Amino acid sequence: MRDESASPYRMPRVVSSAAWHSLLWLVVANAIGTMIAILLLVPGLNQLLGEWTYGRWIMVHMNLMLYGWTSLPLVGFLFVTYGADHGDLAKWCRPVLWVWSVALFVGSLSWLSGHSSGKLFLDWSGYARVVFPVALIALWLLLVVAMVRNWRDPKHATIAGRAAKLVGLAILLAVPFALYIESSPGLYPAVNPDTGGPTGTSQLESSLMVVVILLMLPFGITRRKVASQRLINIGWAVLVAESLLCLALGHADTSHHSPAQYLSLGSLLVWLPLMPAYYAAFEWGSNTRRWRYAFLWWWGALVLTGWIFFLPGVLDHFKFTDGLVGHSFVAMAGFTSSLLIFVMIQLMGEDGWIFNRSRSFYLWHASVVGYIVVITVAGWLEGFDPTFTIVPGPTRNVLYILRLVTGICMLLASLDWFVDASTVLREPTPAAIPVAQEQIA
Amino acid sequence: MPPGKSRTSSWQGVVLVAITYTYFLIFAQFAFLQRLATLGIAETHLKIVMAAMAIGGILFSLLTPRIRFIQSPNLRLRVGLGASSAAALFTLLPLSFVAATALSFLIGAALGVLTVTLVTNLHQWVGNRNALLKVGLGTGIGYFACNVPLLFTATPQVQAATAAILCFAALCLPLRSAPETPPQAPNPPQTGRSFLLVLASFAALVWLDSAAFFIIQNTPALKSGTWQGSIHLWTNAALHFAAALASAWLLRRKGLSFVLYGAFVALGCACLLLLSPDRILVASILYPIGVSLYSVALVAYPSLFAPVSTAAERGRQAGWIYAVAGWSASVLGIGMGQNLGYVPPAFVLASGVVILLPWLFRLFLSRMREIVLAEVVLLAAFGLNRVLQPARQTSPSSQIERGRQVYISEGCISCHSQYVRPNTSDVLMWGPVESIQEIRLQHPPLIGNRRQGPDLSQVGVRRSALWLKAHFYDPPEVSGASIMPTFAFLFRDQRGGDLVAYLASLRGADAQQHIAEVRRWQPSTAAVQAANPAEGRSLYQRYCATCHAADGRTHSTWEAGFKRLPTDLIDGPFYDLPGSGTREERMIRIAQMAKFGILGTDMPGHEYLPDQQIASISLWVLQNIAHPVQNQ
Repeated sequence: MRDESASPYRMPRVVSSAAWHSLLWLVVANAIGTMIAILLLVPGLNQLLGEWTYGRWIMVHMNLMLYGWTSLPLVGFLFVTYGADHGDLAKWCRPVLWVWSVALFVGSLSWLSGHSSGKLFLDWSGYARVVFPVALIALWLLLVVAMVRNWRDPKHATIAGRAAKLVGLAILLAVPFALYIESSPGLYPAVNPDTGGPTGTSQLESSLMVVVILLMLPFGITRRKVASQRLINIGWAVLVAESLLCLALGHADTSHHSPAQYLSLGSLLVWLPLMPAYYAAFEWGSNTRRWRYAFLWWWGALVLTGWIFFLPGVLDHFKFTDGLVGHSFVAMAGFTSSLLIFVMIQLMGEDGWIFNRSRSFYLWHASVVGYIVVITVAGWLEGFDPTFTIVPGPTRNVLYILRLVTGICMLLASLDWFVDASTVLREPTPAAIPVAQEQIA
Repeated sequence: MPPGKSRTSSWQGVVLVAITYTYFLIFAQFAFLQRLATLGIAETHLKIVMAAMAIGGILFSLLTPRIRFIQSPNLRLRVGLGASSAAALFTLLPLSFVAATALSFLIGAALGVLTVTLVTNLHQWVGNRNALLKVGLGTGIGYFACNVPLLFTATPQVQAATAAILCFAALCLPLRSAPETPPQAPNPPQTGRSFLLVLASFAALVWLDSAAFFIIQNTPALKSGTWQGSIHLWTNAALHFAAALASAWLLRRKGLSFVLYGAFVALGCACLLLLSPDRILVASILYPIGVSLYSVALVAYPSLFAPVSTAAERGRQAGWIYAVAGWSASVLGIGMGQNLGYVPPAFVLASGVVILLPWLFRLFLSRMREIVLAEVVLLAAFGLNRVLQPARQTSPSSQIERGRQVYISEGCISCHSQYVRPNTSDVLMWGPVESIQEIRLQHPPLIGNRRQGPDLSQVGVRRSALWLKAHFYDPPEVSGASIMPTFAFLFRDQRGGDLVAYLASLRGADAQQHIAEVRRWQPSTAAVQAANPAEGRSLYQRYCATCHAADGRTHSTWEAGFKRLPTDLIDGPFYDLPGSGTREERMIRIAQMAKFGILGTDMPGHEYLPDQQIASISLWVLQNIAHPVQNQ
């Protein structure tokens, strides 16, 4: 076994391990999604599930996507940003990833056993509601130790960098408590009275949180291009302006028919050109190119369709239909997945080849686009006639079969990545990559 | 050795393994028990008789390797076969309890001699080419033969006679003498585990197998899903055969541990699935796979794998395996099935620990930090949960609150919204509208974000408790082509009743106003003009006949529960149809009833059907209705 403690270099396998855990949950969640798509076509098969019913599997599917696939790459990002991925601390990264996965496994068993708070994406209940936050605290403690260890290392941070990391730690500490508290059935966010869904303000708020993450990500994993500061400043200034707008809107139960709601949400359109320009202000590994473009394209699609779907008339038509499932796919399978893979490739360096096979890249994107088209058509038809899904007919069944096919394609693409990630972890560790000073500053 | 002779002798091994398994499975484990039942031997007497078999089996499994007076393996095997054949034939005679006990001891003793002799000297009869495959083939053929419907469903006498004839045929096989130097399987696989661990692993697997077998055999709901009907039996036969061959291949390629892991996963899952009769289909697939996987190993290990230096040592190990893992674990498994009626998940877990021990040990060594940290986190969370639990624990006090928790637990929110959007078609279909303040009183609000089924915020206005219950039992039967899965299992305890009570309670303050709106509704002129009686008849068959036809399934199943028996739509009586009025007025009233049901009865609405389809149903009913005025 290699003596990792002696190495002053970043161990790329730490991020690969995070990618492996993340892909494991993507494969599991996709397999469950495929099963769900089959059950919608052949409801008689539900008999085989016994008490682990369709509704319980939906919870597992959605939560594994959120807390597994989309979260673990960010854990890898945090390892690198706080310098936990090198020195003798690196050997504790993998245990923290395991703890995260064990907590997710406990959560899955809990949902399948019928324990739920009844809140979408905050279904944590009973023991699982405590386990997952404790797992987050384990991660936080590792980051704190890494921060302390690297505090005096001049290679590791500028004063601004240190300050940002301290703020980051404070925010990360709040997450497990917020998750525990928000899972309480007694709390519920503002409601759009015309749809029962989130208000424009809530959507603007959550979108701005995503923008914050997008603006911060490059600082942890790469360096600025020379003479690019102006673009970066513009990005942060727009964020501040939109945050003020969001604060001014308040948190009332306001309808999407209110012009203040859909116009303020429309302010996000400014990010259509701004985000690609912002990312162009940083230097990226050449192997990230394909996924960087993909994530920026999906970002554009998400912002645009997100706003269109919120407009009066459009939201009224699509609410509670497959149309909004399609939109959530733009967000998760399109934008978020591409972003995370892009980040992982950047962090994994040469190991990033696992995501760059053309077959899986095109298979994933073609099937995601196909899924979105199919499910949006289904939602469009359903918007006219709720019988479309309640009493399934041939059109619905054909569309759902197509959806199943695209789902299987996504499962295959994710399996391809997972198998490659497993191969990478079995390979001998390559020569450690020296940490670029600018990269971690 | 002449090549031709080698091939002949190797197929003898396949035949011997197949016949021994057939004898044990169809006769000793099955036909003999049925024969005892026909002889009136039951309960304590039955236990004594079966205990005699176990004692005979254990005793002679341990004694056979130590017997000195029959040195020749061929002769010893023939003694075992002859005794087995005779024992099977004796069961055809009318037997007293004492005779049955003695005979049972003989069966066990003969099997002890036969099995231990067979595996100790199997290399002599399977040759040194593809020995593992031949063991797999013999085991697969044995299991396949026992599951052939003709033999499986035969009388105990026919099964006993078949077993006797097979043993006699094996007795007549020309058996090759032991070679001077025993052949070895090429590159004998490494087991990677000690003899004691192998013994414990086999014992755990046989225990699981025997318990599951007994439970299936004695639970009609499980038995009907596994061993009844030709399709099930042929499927089992094919699964056993394929799994046996797969086991032989895996033993060669992956080793003993891999096969034992696979067998445990299949058998363990089958045992857990048997806890719920709903999952019997999956269990019925996994069970034969698990059994055949380990059954091949049970023969292959002592005969080909065991790291021994002498034939005597091989014999002693074989004796211990069959005495402890074969007979004793089998008795304990049957006892578990008898006394508990199920395999406790904790026992499955404990078996897993025993079987997976080497893997777990390696995992622990290579992932010590991960395991320790995970345990620390799990324990810390456990302690924290104990501290926090009293603060957040609010046990549902009423049936409605408990029902709401069932609604949350089952994830109903994934398919059903509880939100009627104002100023939309939702209002007429699922209304009335609730205010945000009313919704916020719920903890949490169950608004949902996707409708695969109807909105349920006011379902108590639209559906009776009986309808809700019938629908949970069999949704497609009650509600046309519903894709909702059955939730009949909820009614095994109080959850079903609680959920029905909760849903029936979902009716807002504006229900009366909504009812008035519904009564004002009538199908559009265009819908009425497009009405088609042929379509109406088809829709009637799909949605209405289940209640309104005298032989409709919902009508028959829930006959005693209806507040008022559903009206025969041809003959009446038509309580809710005005006797006077024009044909159009009657059609509108029928349409209203079809669309929104009849208040205060169990008649549900079909709000989700388009007006044109409602008009078609109404037209067909109106055209076929018999004298509404007289039938009032």
